[in-house]
Amino acid sequence: MLSPLNTHSAFLKGKITLIVQVSGLCLFAWLCQWAAHSVHSVIPGSVIGLGVLLILLSCQWLPEKVVNQGSAWLIGDLLLFFIPPVVAVTKYKSILENYGAELIMCMLLASTSVLLGTAVIVDKLFKFERKQRLNNISSQRSHLK
Amino acid sequence: MNDSLLGALCLLLTLAGYYLSKRLYLRQQRVWFAPIIMAPTIILLTVVIFQIPLVDYFQFTHWLPALLAPATIAFAVPIYRERLLIKRYPLTISLGVMAGLCLGVGSSWLILHFTNMPSALSRSLIVRSVSTPFAIEATSAFGGIPELTAMLVLVTGIMGMLICEPLFKAAKIQSSLARGISLGASAHGAGAAKANQIGREEGVIASLTMIFTGIAMVITAPLFALLF
Repeated sequence: MLSPLNTHSAFLKGKITLIVQVSGLCLFAWLCQWAAHSVHSVIPGSVIGLGVLLILLSCQWLPEKVVNQGSAWLIGDLLLFFIPPVVAVTKYKSILENYGAELIMCMLLASTSVLLGTAVIVDKLFKFERKQRLNNISSQRSHLK
Repeated sequence: MNDSLLGALCLLLTLAGYYLSKRLYLRQQRVWFAPIIMAPTIILLTVVIFQIPLVDYFQFTHWLPALLAPATIAFAVPIYRERLLIKRYPLTISLGVMAGLCLGVGSSWLILHFTNMPSALSRSLIVRSVSTPFAIEATSAFGGIPELTAMLVLVTGIMGMLICEPLFKAAKIQSSLARGISLGASAHGAGAAKANQIGREEGVIASLTMIFTGIAMVITAPLFALLF
């Protein structure tokens, strides 16, 4: 059984790991943004950073556990980071008051068409791709026989 | 009241509002307690009712949106972790992402051309179906305003969560891939959270689609912007 002191120090250790990982990702993000800015890249630094991190992970140059906790926190609490811009919307109060109802109707229609359209297309594609996969597997099996 | 004190209180309000609604939602799984609905409502209402000047609100909270860039980079980890799933259905996922992206931009194009909303508002609508960090990067290519975009992204997410189930039922969408991809492509993070409630595979697929649609939006924004 873990003593209270042990669980406490494990908790503290977890928090420190989290802070170190998030700081590391922030530093990396800042470097990528600086690099993208200095070469006048069309693709923003954060997306370049995503690509670089994915390459580092895929080639096993960077173990997953080094960024695991930090990335889980950043993704899990994403909503917190865009509450301030949402509050800033009060600047545009008059536009929203005048066009609010029209806006909601348009968005509802648009969201319905995106959701439904994508779902129907993917449903058809999925059935096609699954059939292809099953055909491939069965032809490989008959080949082995 | 002292300005710095008010600024610090605003940061506290933002953190407390967010984490309290998150905790409440964990206990009581009602849609109105979802952090995406409750947290911005509480915080926005407090700012409006007490007439807190935006300068004071932003004094200490401005570093929160700065974390959107590292959060974008962090999306590399789930892509890496789910690489086997991506390899299993490469065609469905990539074409699904493209379909979601084109429908999202296309529907906004129609709104832009057939309504008389001010262009700052309708241009901020174009990127609404992708996750915030990507949307805020991409919106300037279309002449959108980041703050309006952030709000429209939020509202789109809530709508997707609310309308998906009756729509899936009506259109008889049963495959987990179709449900996950359409939720991820149309309602980003909120859609992914909803997909997670439907099933594990739906959730993973929705998160992946959300990330890919976001990346694709940022990369293709300058091209799409030529159409507008």
